[in-house]
Amino acid sequence: MHDDEPTPADALDPLIHVPARLRLMVTLAALPQGDTLSFTRLQDMLGLTPGNLITHLRKLEDAGYVQTEKTGSGVNGLTTVALTRDGRGALDRYTAVLRQLLDTAGPAQPP
Amino acid sequence: MNETHDTNETATADDGGGLDPRAAAALIEQTKRQAQRQFDLRPPLLTLLRAAVILAAYGTVWLSVRGQHPYQGPTGAALAVVYGAVIVVIIVSVAVVRRATSGVGGQSQRQRGAYGAAFGTAWIAVSVFQGALYHVDPSHAIVYGVFPAAAPLLVLGAAAAGMAAAREDWRTLGGAIAVIALGTGSAFAGPAGVWGVIAVGGCVIAIGYAAYQLRQRRA
Repeated sequence: MHDDEPTPADALDPLIHVPARLRLMVTLAALPQGDTLSFTRLQDMLGLTPGNLITHLRKLEDAGYVQTEKTGSGVNGLTTVALTRDGRGALDRYTAVLRQLLDTAGPAQPP
Repeated sequence: MNETHDTNETATADDGGGLDPRAAAALIEQTKRQAQRQFDLRPPLLTLLRAAVILAAYGTVWLSVRGQHPYQGPTGAALAVVYGAVIVVIIVSVAVVRRATSGVGGQSQRQRGAYGAAFGTAWIAVSVFQGALYHVDPSHAIVYGVFPAAAPLLVLGAAAAGMAAAREDWRTLGGAIAVIALGTGSAFAGPAGVWGVIAVGGCVIAIGYAAYQLRQRRA
């Protein structure tokens, strides 16, 4: 297979198909629709540095997958993050494509 | 957003190359389980603790009243065990809820407040009603026997059933209906027997619910 030839995995949303962003999306999806999670709790759960998390959030926010909101300022400031309906839909599509790929690939071969 | 990131970290933000579908599926499963566990307001261990407390509290009262003729009501020592057990459950439950809901806001937070108000009102109503019963007819068998044992199950079970139905949480609805049925049926056991029936029945329902929760986690 040539390097520039599309692989089945290319059908996966490249924005989500990154370990940190995949974990981020799945973590937010574990909350009911309409709920928000504080930046610090999310960071704590994912074990990412603030800078790294901000970078991933920006990319997902630009795509309309997550929504961030800041209230207050200084030490009283609170940033909350929520998965949007589009984000939930994108994650559902991603897992559906992933399932199809795994079904096509068949059971894992023992090493 | 907290703008304290350093630029070196952003360079590593897209390190996702080579994530094969099988690894992605495993990562999703692992992350989902971890998140659900961390957001869980009713972990199986807490339900098991509640099962033990129901057995200990109602069982202690039953032991203190089973030989009474005529029925006088629970002894002070038995009531102390009940209040102690209830306080332990409240403290542990509050700690679990605080940990699970830390940083979580939005719709669920508003719903929790409404649920708390509904349950609190129901609980207070049962106590006030008990006072009214005593005022009307101070029969120990009713005021200190059947009513305080069974009424909380009927009222709180009905409140829990309504909430579960609104969330379309059918298993919890089934559990709540079982609690209502236990409260109703136990009343036929009389002022002393009602405590024993609820001790065993409530414990069995709680253990069954914990088993269901464990199965849900492993599914």
